[in-house]
Amino acid sequence: MTDVAIATRLSHSAAIILQAIEAGYVYGFSVMETTGLPSGTVYPALRRLERDGLIRSSWEAQAVADAGQRPARKYYRITRAGQATLAASQKRYPLLNRLFPVPAQEKA
Amino acid sequence: MMLRGLHVAIIQTAALLVPAPERAEWLAEWRAELWYVDRRATAFCLGSICDAFWMNRNTRAPRAHRWFSLESPVKCVMFLAALTALSFLLAFGPSGDNLAPPPRDAASQSVALAAAERDSSPPSPADLESSLPNRMAHSSTAGAPKTEPPPGGDQDLPFACFSVGLVSLAVLSSVRPLRLGEYPVNRYAPAAPFRLLRWVFLALKMALVVPIALCGAGALGPIVPPLAGWVLFLGLFFGFRWALMDQRERCPVCLRLLSNPTCIGDPSQSFLGWYGTELLCSRGHGFLYIPGTSTSWGGAQRWQYLDPAWDTLLP
Repeated sequence: MTDVAIATRLSHSAAIILQAIEAGYVYGFSVMETTGLPSGTVYPALRRLERDGLIRSSWEAQAVADAGQRPARKYYRITRAGQATLAASQKRYPLLNRLFPVPAQEKA
Repeated sequence: MMLRGLHVAIIQTAALLVPAPERAEWLAEWRAELWYVDRRATAFCLGSICDAFWMNRNTRAPRAHRWFSLESPVKCVMFLAALTALSFLLAFGPSGDNLAPPPRDAASQSVALAAAERDSSPPSPADLESSLPNRMAHSSTAGAPKTEPPPGGDQDLPFACFSVGLVSLAVLSSVRPLRLGEYPVNRYAPAAPFRLLRWVFLALKMALVVPIALCGAGALGPIVPPLAGWVLFLGLFFGFRWALMDQRERCPVCLRLLSNPTCIGDPSQSFLGWYGTELLCSRGHGFLYIPGTSTSWGGAQRWQYLDPAWDTLLP
């Protein structure tokens, strides 16, 4: 299957969320804040993407959360298949990778 | 603080929709995420309901309600018959015959159905509630003089039930399609009389729902008289809805509930691509394909009869 074909099968909201995760917004609320999408869209979309193998999730270590005096986060990471799909989407929608600034805190 | 409690309550209520094996992690994630929300927290929490519905529909874990299985058609009919008997017991139990015709002195009060008959239009649940509770309340009054029913009075109830049943079916058809799906006949399909069995089964289920709803309304009549008509309407509405939904999940040959739901296709990559759920008859009679979304080229579920060669692959 060609990249373009893959990209056209990805919904807009899924592509934006995938792009946000790639940009470093790696937990649900930060994705929601960055994309401006409501929680009722973002969380089911994250589950769909995870079920389709485009992202995977893991819980933050409790010790790290305790040190930050906050609850443990569930982080989402983009998989290799997700990167391929996102790359195809970016070819089709060139503005996609300019949507979000890279968060310094998350990348650090 | 009170709002915080409300937000947690919304999330915990939504969590009831999530299948049990996934619930703890789902709840932990939403609680953790709620910690970051400082504005529009209620809207954020309401999103958890959408997420919970998604989990409920798409999880691959066995559903919690399957423990009480009505897989066999015989078991299903026996369960409904037992419910009917229990409803009759509640309605005509030791407290009296709640559905008995009203005495003559109550005839003047039960005018709604008679008026509806004259107008040749079906009565609404509100009309029915003005007559149904009266006949129920009068019959349960201890020591009340028993008199002869009014001429034609005992004919009101079947007419009223039939009318409310029609109204509930009409409302149901406007909420969701009544169509059962596509069952294209091929050379492996059973003979026509056997194919008719599923219609008989559906009719039997719907017929058993009626006395359950009626007796439920009858039992409630003396307690909350104004609600009896609505209870009958809602009972028939949800009863018919359940009968249709149950029928859609059954094999048209053996009438057993289908099993082994399998997701096909990727919903997040769904542009012009079919995706949905495939269900299998455990006896090997065929597959059912339920589309994940309605499209112009195919929104109905579709059954495929299998040839006998599949028998060797299935238990």
